[in-house]
Amino acid sequence: MSRALKIFRWRAVGPLLLFLAILGLLWILFADRIARAETESTLSEMLGTEVDIASLRIREADAAVDLGGLAIADPRDPRRNLLEAGTITVDLDPIPLTEKKIVIDQLTLSGLRFLTTRATPARPADPNSPAGRLLRETEAWAREKFQFPRLALGRIDTVKSLVLQPEQLGSVKAAKAFAGTVDSTRAAFEQSVAELQVKAVVDSSTALAERLAKSDPKKLGIAGVREAASDVQKAIERVKEARSRLASLEQTTRTSLGALQRGLADVEAARQKDYDFAKGLLELPSFDAPKIGAALFGAPSTDYFQQALYYAKIVQRYVPPGLQPWNRPGPKRTRLAGTTVEFPRMEEYPRFLLRQARLDFATSGAGQNQFEANLAGITSQPALLGQPATLLASGRLGGDRPVSVTLSGLSRHFGKSPTDSLVARVSGVTLPAIQIPGLGFTVTPGRSTVGLAFALSGERLAGAWEVSSDAAAWNADSARLRAASLVESTVWRVVSGLSQLRVRAELGGTVDAPTLRVSSNLDDAIAGRLQGLAGEALAGAEQKARAAVDGIVDPQITSLRGKVSGLSSQVADRLPVERGQLDRAQKALEAQLRRLVGSGLGGIQLPKL
Amino acid sequence: MLTLLKLLQSLFQTLHSEGTPRQVAAGLVLGAGIGLTPLLSAHNLVLFAALVLLNVSFGGGMLGLALFTPLGFLLDPLFDRVGLALLEAPALRGLWTAGYNVPLLPFTNFNNSVTLGSFVVWLVLALPLYFAGQRAIARYRVTYGERVLNSKFMKALKASKLYNIYAWFVPQ
Repeated sequence: MSRALKIFRWRAVGPLLLFLAILGLLWILFADRIARAETESTLSEMLGTEVDIASLRIREADAAVDLGGLAIADPRDPRRNLLEAGTITVDLDPIPLTEKKIVIDQLTLSGLRFLTTRATPARPADPNSPAGRLLRETEAWAREKFQFPRLALGRIDTVKSLVLQPEQLGSVKAAKAFAGTVDSTRAAFEQSVAELQVKAVVDSSTALAERLAKSDPKKLGIAGVREAASDVQKAIERVKEARSRLASLEQTTRTSLGALQRGLADVEAARQKDYDFAKGLLELPSFDAPKIGAALFGAPSTDYFQQALYYAKIVQRYVPPGLQPWNRPGPKRTRLAGTTVEFPRMEEYPRFLLRQARLDFATSGAGQNQFEANLAGITSQPALLGQPATLLASGRLGGDRPVSVTLSGLSRHFGKSPTDSLVARVSGVTLPAIQIPGLGFTVTPGRSTVGLAFALSGERLAGAWEVSSDAAAWNADSARLRAASLVESTVWRVVSGLSQLRVRAELGGTVDAPTLRVSSNLDDAIAGRLQGLAGEALAGAEQKARAAVDGIVDPQITSLRGKVSGLSSQVADRLPVERGQLDRAQKALEAQLRRLVGSGLGGIQLPKL
Repeated sequence: MLTLLKLLQSLFQTLHSEGTPRQVAAGLVLGAGIGLTPLLSAHNLVLFAALVLLNVSFGGGMLGLALFTPLGFLLDPLFDRVGLALLEAPALRGLWTAGYNVPLLPFTNFNNSVTLGSFVVWLVLALPLYFAGQRAIARYRVTYGERVLNSKFMKALKASKLYNIYAWFVPQ
């Protein structure tokens, strides 16, 4: 028997082929089921909500996958689905599959429906999953970054006692911190002046000048004059150095004084916030028009922006910019998942690419649908593709009362900073009732036009949310209305007759420091009526709040101003004196040097002064 | 139950007379490779095919699998650290990037820290394991082997029908 025959166990080829055949059979029997479970699991984890797929069939010969009955639950409302799709056909490029990469040539979705009610509530997302954490973070973001004034429309109680504790006030905290800064600046200034040793330089220079003034150069001789002149030149150099250090100190001190003035302004700004805080304790209604807009519609608008930010953050998480290796959790298994690292390379396939998707609404139950939607360039590694992902959709949905939709989105995750943006406009949509916070009123906008624009570029935010309706209906709890205060009933009288509703919220700033401006067509009307009714009482209560804050903060700010002013005076008084002393010492030395040179002994050349 | 029986059969047959100590040790090394690394990776198909097709002890492979699978679970945190260190080493980035874009290679899951770490640890241990296994089997056969082979338990085990299936893989 040959050596090759001894190395190989040829009779085991049969059982091995049988084993492979069994694997093949298992694939045929279970691949669809496993792929469906894996797809559900992956999408659920990625989107942070339950994703159900009724059926999945892999067509190996066509390199295609058919999915049926896709339902994506709303992560914020388990009783409804964000999206349902009847059938989905995924045509894959077979070549990248050999590299374990998914490149979809064409994705066709049909029978799409949105915001449908679920038969059973969706499972909540794992709170520790990345999407679960993102949802919590964005909810906390909306809660913490935006605080809207409440229309507290009870009795305006100017008699209510207002007891403030110093530790409640931001300006007190700021003043305490700032006092430390002032003290350390003063200490640093005094130490720097002491380190200059101006007095020592001036004293030694003056003594030298006086000693030379009493001497006769002719009696010193050539060597004596040279030595004396050398001493004078060295002394002048020391004076110049001291003056240079003094100039530098002056510059530093001016900068520090500028910073102290800004610090004082910050403390003042904190005091303004304390006024608002104190007014809040009095539960005063705010009747400024911009604040009324925020009080009425601030919360619903942040709700939209929070959702937009959540999905933008998900996109940022799963679509990293650039071509650096990308670490992500390994697959779920009995063994430790570990970390899986992606190593993208230019001119290679990304791990996931959807070249084009077409959304077809033809079988969604309403024959009058005329809607086209196209998605392109969706990838996990956009730097490889070199072009942004785009979404364009427009058309009319529904029969008797059609809804017009225009939608465009762009996701550019290469270049300087990742940018995700979405612009949507839906006309003729029936909006649900909006509860007005703090009041017993709701407004049902009816058939409206809703616009939403949102962009996240790096950390910068921009967005707008608009609602426009000419058929708004206001509803109130009749029992509450009967017991309503004058102010509350006044607001009701203003709004209940209005059928036109125009709301606009504008988002700006950064994720860490967002800004939101909310306005509506009701603001001026309500503000005018309420200020007329309660202006005088409000002014008195506001004055009371300011006085309570000033009573605590004024002594501290006055003390701070005194300290800063004292330091400014100290700087202004002391530095010119030091400079004058150095000037006089230098002049005296120069005079002696000229006298020595003028004596004609030693061939000394006068240095350039 | 059948699996357990088969495992016991193969274990005892392996330890006694099926194959030379070298063949048993080689099988043990291949089985250790399958046991130490996460099962559902393409490289395990290659290791399994090698265990079946090469004239090494299949029982040794089963023994290696039985011994090293629990060890793999225990050592996963170590594998994770070793694998991640290798995957994140700047000097090796070119190698991983090339491998990541080669057809079929990504199915080995080499870019997973646990898979790579366990595979590398197995590679490092393969030769020492081979020689240690070879020596241990030889020593066992001249010391306890005869007594165990003549035990009632072993005779009953050998009488099982599954032995016939197992015999297909006995080294020649």
